[in-house]
Amino acid sequence: MTTRRDFLTVSLVATGAALAPRWADAAGKVPKTLTTVRESSFIKAFDDFFVKTLAPEYEKLTGIKVGYEAVSVGGMLTRLTTMAETKSGPEITGVGLNWPFLFDNALVDVSDIAAEVGKKLGGWHEIVQDVVVVNKKWKGLPWGNIGQLEVYRTDWFKEVGVTKFPDTWEDLLAAGRLLKKKGHPFGFEIGHGFGDNHGWMYPLLWSYGGREVDRDGKTVLIDSSETAKAVDFCRKFYQETMFEDVLGWTDVNNNKAFLGEQISCTNNASSILVVAKRDFPEIGKVTDHALNPQGPKGRYHVLNAQSLALLSYAPDQAAAKAFLRWLYDDKQMSRWLAAGDAYYAPFLHAYDNHPMWNPEPRYMPFKESLKTSRPHTWPGPQGTAASESVAKYVLVDMFAKACRGDSTKDVIATAAAQLKQIYKAK
Amino acid sequence: MAVGPATIARPAPVEGRPDTLRGLLEREGVFSWLMLAPGVLFLLAFVAYPFFYGIFLSLQDRRVANPGIFVGLANFQSLAHDPVFWQVTRNTLMYVVVTTILKLSGGLGMALVMNQKFRGRNLVRASLLLPFIVPTALSTVAWMWILDPTFSVVNWVLVHGGVISSGFSWLGNASLAMWSLIVVNTWRGTPFYGITLLAGLQTISPDLYEAAAIDGASVTQRFLYVTLPVIKPVLVIVTMFSVIFTFGDFQLIYALTHGGPANATHVFSTWAFDIGMSAGQLGMGAAVALAILPALAVLIVGLTLYLRRE
Repeated sequence: MTTRRDFLTVSLVATGAALAPRWADAAGKVPKTLTTVRESSFIKAFDDFFVKTLAPEYEKLTGIKVGYEAVSVGGMLTRLTTMAETKSGPEITGVGLNWPFLFDNALVDVSDIAAEVGKKLGGWHEIVQDVVVVNKKWKGLPWGNIGQLEVYRTDWFKEVGVTKFPDTWEDLLAAGRLLKKKGHPFGFEIGHGFGDNHGWMYPLLWSYGGREVDRDGKTVLIDSSETAKAVDFCRKFYQETMFEDVLGWTDVNNNKAFLGEQISCTNNASSILVVAKRDFPEIGKVTDHALNPQGPKGRYHVLNAQSLALLSYAPDQAAAKAFLRWLYDDKQMSRWLAAGDAYYAPFLHAYDNHPMWNPEPRYMPFKESLKTSRPHTWPGPQGTAASESVAKYVLVDMFAKACRGDSTKDVIATAAAQLKQIYKAK
Repeated sequence: MAVGPATIARPAPVEGRPDTLRGLLEREGVFSWLMLAPGVLFLLAFVAYPFFYGIFLSLQDRRVANPGIFVGLANFQSLAHDPVFWQVTRNTLMYVVVTTILKLSGGLGMALVMNQKFRGRNLVRASLLLPFIVPTALSTVAWMWILDPTFSVVNWVLVHGGVISSGFSWLGNASLAMWSLIVVNTWRGTPFYGITLLAGLQTISPDLYEAAAIDGASVTQRFLYVTLPVIKPVLVIVTMFSVIFTFGDFQLIYALTHGGPANATHVFSTWAFDIGMSAGQLGMGAAVALAILPALAVLIVGLTLYLRRE
């Protein structure tokens, strides 16, 4: 490039080449690429299967290259917020919990695909509709639930004479007392993490009959004798089976403590067993899962549904929908779920007895837990108020303050005042 | 010989006509604005715009991916009635005040030592800067291990040294958690004070110390009446910067405690993030973030006036 004329010519050609695909898209041609963004999976093979198998297969079939962006764990909501606010980025996104309600206006109605997939694959589990169907429109296509269950050391439980995981909270407390005396305390997160705290605290509250808010979203129900019983139990459970540090734990701490052989029981996804089998096989052999214990009013788990959703700014929604149809076809979905090593419990009844459950029976409780799973803040309606309650750790801090010694009456009163403000209730 | 009037030297005429580009560039006013433009544009785009947009958001009920509804000061009124907001305010003030005092005194000590001549001075200077150089996210991970009850090196030393029988819960106990964060922030921020104050110390002429010594001034008197007055402007500026940075500290707290236990370590930045991002309430989140503005504004204006007076 020797002259100014050369420079201008090269610049113009380069700019034209860069803009050409956009002009082609604008002219109505099929896009050459689609991108999916989701939180990186704890099971690397699950992400790899998408990138190395599914994406190339789709490209071979249609000529459309499918990109895959994995966001670090805990960062997906921030990424999605940026995408929705700037109306730019990947066309297809992973959504968790009740996000379809938060991003309702930014997501495309995919009820047609949900109906087709449901019809072909035995129908959807009813409970998942609570977190993806917004105003009767499906705003996400669920593929699996990351359950939060009890994870425990079978050898240490046997040492204190407990051969079967306790069925009730009171029985678990009794076992915990014995185990703590033996130097094997429990370690349930009571700090500000994003999953392992709510994972057992909402079920504990529900199993004692307590509720945050009624289904009308206006009547705050937290101030009840049932909540008081749950709070009293939690304080006892913490003081007699755990140690102070759990009050400051975030989601990584209980994994580390369990694998560091510091605790005998916690509430977590199957990630502890996955890592134990891979890196600490001796611990892996004596680790098992169990459903959450039941309380006087039943047994519960939190619903942690993972879905894919389509952003309304996608330039070619028909092409993106075609990809989702293809992905949720049994030929693809079945293999993708299998690659996930049963980390995700599918919400389609056709997969209730999927071969993915066979290799490792210790994952079976995750399938079982779907029947008793409820979204955070249940039975209250999903939406920004529910998210605010979760983001402000109203329930977690209510229990945490009780554990550190505050009175049951005070912690419930504080939580009730916060919830009334959040739900704009009187 | 007739002597003509002395010719007055005139500056050479400006080359080029004023209406040409070169002529325009030769004009001081135009040229200085041209030089300032990149900086001004940068500040407008990345400081002024987000700042005013933040104010705009804070006056709205603005849910993520939804249009905002103007609500005036309702978000701030709502915050004023939230006990957590006041807890967050107390936490933030404690965090900023205590860390600033510790960093200021530590940094001054560091600078005074580093201003002395000793073997390996340059190596020590470089190594003391490490906490400031290492990315916060990285050093925070190290601190997570240091403060971990199970694997904590501090607890290990204390227990094996016979000082205590069982380890402290550095991040699980509400009081200890705040002090742990203060220690980490101080560790990270002291080199900033140290290196800046060292630059100030190096501008002091040795003659002043010599004169003071001849007059019989002690070491303390030389520090109080020579060192301190000279570095005072630097001290004020570095404190102002540090306070601003500490008010906005996010990574360290978010990674270590995420505001827990039971909000004991939540500060404005972490709480604003939770409300804005996790709860999708951008308007309320912006209001929380802006709540620190009055305190910061008073501080900045006060320090600036003090500097001008000096």
